[in-house]
Amino acid sequence: MSEPFEAFGDVEDLAADLASPDATVRRLAVMALAETSDWQAVPHLVAAIADAAPEVREQAARALGEFDGRAVGEALARAVTDSVAAVAAAAAESLAELRDADAGGALLALVAHPSPFVRTAILRGLKALQIEASLQPAITALSDVEPAVRVQAVGVIGYLKRQETLPALIGAARDGSAEVRLAAVKALSFADQSAEAAAAVSAALKDAAWEVRAAAAETLGRLGVSSASPALVAALADELWQVRQKALQSLGRLRAREALPAIIVLLGDDNPSLRKDAAATLGEIADPASREALATRAQDADPDVRKTVAWALGRL
Amino acid sequence: MDDITDGLTEVSCDILVIGGGTAGPMAAYKAKRRNPQARVVLLEKANVKRSGAIAMGMDGLNNAVVPGYATPEQYTKEITIANDGICDQAPVFKYASRCFDIIQELDSFGIRFQKTENGDYDVKKVHHLGTYVLPMPNGDTVKRALYRQLRREQILISNRYMATRLLTGRDGEIAGAIAVNTRTAEFLVLRAKAVILCAGAAGRLGLPQSGYLWGTYENATNSGDGYAMAYHAGAGLANLECYQINPLIKDYNGPACAYVAGPFGAYTTNSEGRRFIECDYWSGQMMQEFYSELQSGKGPVFLKLNHLHSDTIGKIEAILHTVERPSRGRFHENRGTDYRERMVEMHISEIGFCSGHSASGVFVDEFARTTVTGLYAAGDMASVPHNYMLGAFTNGAVAGEHAAEFAAGRDLPDYDPSDVEQERARVLAPTRRDDGIPPNQIEYKARRMVNDYLQPPKVTAKMKLGQERLAEVREDLEGAMVARDAHELLRSLEVASILDCADMAAAASLFRTESRWGLYHYRVDHPEKNDADWFCHSILRKQDGRMMLEKRPVAPYIVPIEDAERSAYDRQRIRESA
Amino acid sequence: MIASASAKAPNEEARLPIAYTPTTLPVVVDEAKCIADKGCTVCVDVCPLDVLRISDLTGKAYMKYDECWYCMPCETDCPTGAVTVNIPYLLR
Repeated sequence: MSEPFEAFGDVEDLAADLASPDATVRRLAVMALAETSDWQAVPHLVAAIADAAPEVREQAARALGEFDGRAVGEALARAVTDSVAAVAAAAAESLAELRDADAGGALLALVAHPSPFVRTAILRGLKALQIEASLQPAITALSDVEPAVRVQAVGVIGYLKRQETLPALIGAARDGSAEVRLAAVKALSFADQSAEAAAAVSAALKDAAWEVRAAAAETLGRLGVSSASPALVAALADELWQVRQKALQSLGRLRAREALPAIIVLLGDDNPSLRKDAAATLGEIADPASREALATRAQDADPDVRKTVAWALGRL
Repeated sequence: MDDITDGLTEVSCDILVIGGGTAGPMAAYKAKRRNPQARVVLLEKANVKRSGAIAMGMDGLNNAVVPGYATPEQYTKEITIANDGICDQAPVFKYASRCFDIIQELDSFGIRFQKTENGDYDVKKVHHLGTYVLPMPNGDTVKRALYRQLRREQILISNRYMATRLLTGRDGEIAGAIAVNTRTAEFLVLRAKAVILCAGAAGRLGLPQSGYLWGTYENATNSGDGYAMAYHAGAGLANLECYQINPLIKDYNGPACAYVAGPFGAYTTNSEGRRFIECDYWSGQMMQEFYSELQSGKGPVFLKLNHLHSDTIGKIEAILHTVERPSRGRFHENRGTDYRERMVEMHISEIGFCSGHSASGVFVDEFARTTVTGLYAAGDMASVPHNYMLGAFTNGAVAGEHAAEFAAGRDLPDYDPSDVEQERARVLAPTRRDDGIPPNQIEYKARRMVNDYLQPPKVTAKMKLGQERLAEVREDLEGAMVARDAHELLRSLEVASILDCADMAAAASLFRTESRWGLYHYRVDHPEKNDADWFCHSILRKQDGRMMLEKRPVAPYIVPIEDAERSAYDRQRIRESA
Repeated sequence: MIASASAKAPNEEARLPIAYTPTTLPVVVDEAKCIADKGCTVCVDVCPLDVLRISDLTGKAYMKYDECWYCMPCETDCPTGAVTVNIPYLLR
């Protein structure tokens, strides 16, 4: 008769196969150990990070993503420096799964590693751990020669949400790489009511990269600083509708009455998404002066626009 | 493997959870946490590692109530309105109040939700009124994260066992279940003090347009077994006429997916590239609009992404082609569909039962209790409207905790051994023949009849004819169906569930003599909504071996709905001017 | 009651013989990469429809039944990348 229940798996039994001369058998043993989800498997998986065969090391790096803690952090820190790319890549993915702050120590030791791949993976792993000790290395990494590293550094800093990191993030918003600028502009969202942050992000409304401009428009809405409104109004003339849309949405969050004329113009835009957001913004600002303009769109061809106009009129 | 083997084993436990998809694992986990001394069994037809609707994870939460973005009151209101008022609000409100705790717990398991650059949950708006969508671009690891927790809690997992019937005691209370090994046909009798049904939607009810039995919206293993088991155990099933009918990629038959692409700026259009609905949230009213647009000659319906920036589309592809239904990418590649150039053609799916997206399910209260003592239900098969994946997790947790408390005070109920003998005879009947009609053909025929006679728009005369046709198929099933190995036996058992669900769909649809829930229950000969007579649940129950239906009042609202708000979902097209 | 189409006369066994109809299988296994012969059962374990098996003849995995939800855990979880899921022909 078949066994009704899955076996939990004896870790020592399964680990015996790690001594097999056949690398495939060792690899399958690593998989079986991972499956037990038993913390007793960790020392064996850690040992397998040093296996002679790269496919076994790769499997072990992947398996360690199922666990957490100091020993796991240390083993993954070793694996991410493996000379075989597939092993290092697997370790990088598993590093991003860590949540236990105890694992942080092993990672911090590698923030200045010569390989940019390693530095990137380490900072990415540190981000979710949100430990104080990662702040200074991350700020230092904002000057890293590799943009990918700098992006992850912004991530670490952004997650920690510290007032004192504003100058560093504002600096990163002027980075040479668009990806870094994008991350920094988004990360500045936490600086609620900061005029400094708003000024820096407003400048980014003129960034060469459209995604940075769109993110800047969105962040200004979150910062809630009214003096940013003129810059947002100017962004309503951006060449890309995606940026104009974010600017509209943020003007609504800011309740920017002075933007009314510019928003009303967008009620007649060819793009139905913009007409809709223009109506939504007028509804949020709720100035009776927009009633007439809204009423002209009451029979708009697009149902989402009509619905939003109705809602907006109800708000006046 | 697959040879039919004789054998019967009996085991007992405190709590038996049937279905290891989403709600089931959470129910088992929570039951064990509530009472570590309890013996908790999780029974799964496939393998818990990759079973159920979320076999490849989920690309987002569609109904997250996150503080700062939405309140339980707003959410309860939204769902009540979306479900045309037929909604017992207590379970919905309870879900809405608890789901954020569940999100945080899932996060601690390692399940990844989209976060802003500051590490906060990045919630988006897709519904008509509120903001509840939390994307999960890396949501492919959900099952593995759950499985880990189950192993660590030492929950007893039975993979490759299909539950076929519930066991009840002398007073109709739950006593356990009978299950069959899907690879050997051996029987397992599981005695339990409480049973939690989490067997998912009835996803193999209608036949997909492709004609391929397995090309369903739901995981094709979800054959409605839970609905059938609940029915035969005497539990009440609610609003089965409120079908699940979804807007899906034509032929592929999976989501396009507007909930993921919507926050990036994509939307649903007709063939002219124009919007014809206000919002892309799935509801019967939206499907009615789809249907009308198709009839108008401006069809087919499409998901439009080609107005978006190429980089944005790259991000959408990275999600849709990795998570939940990753083979979509392969499908589009075969057809030469690049989101940047061509809109994605959609169609109206076949019908099913599902309370994840609709409201057809086993009747439950806010403790996930069905009308049978000791029997609980959660997830897609439990009638808490529009509960989706997060509802499955949250209500699964509710069920697990309550069942653990309930079981703690109880002795193991006795069951009648002749019930087991009878069930063995029923299950093994197809194996006693040398030849006959194989299950795949019985299934094809049954599901094709469902399409012909039960697919909305519903016509009374057709539904009655459908009942006759289905009765004929049932005769073939009982008199001529043959199963030559254990795998075929598994399919033969699923066909029986499918036929039960088809009969329930017809009976419930004929009972409610009004139209409601847009296309889901659009009855041509009763085209208007009739609140005077039908503002109530329909409850279907087995009585004296037959399907009986009765009305049940909607529980008094705990969150009041203004008259003006009631029709928010109705006015999608009808309102020509604001 | 509707008379059954397969009603039998009392002394006669109605014959309902079964044919084998060919079908093109969606899931393909590269035997050079497959390590089932070393004990791997991952794809067989994870398939929700239970349609994959290990061949007694070759020791490799293969698709035994054309009942595919084209969900992809078999391909994704295979440790060696031996499994490929194609969209089933009827929907492709």
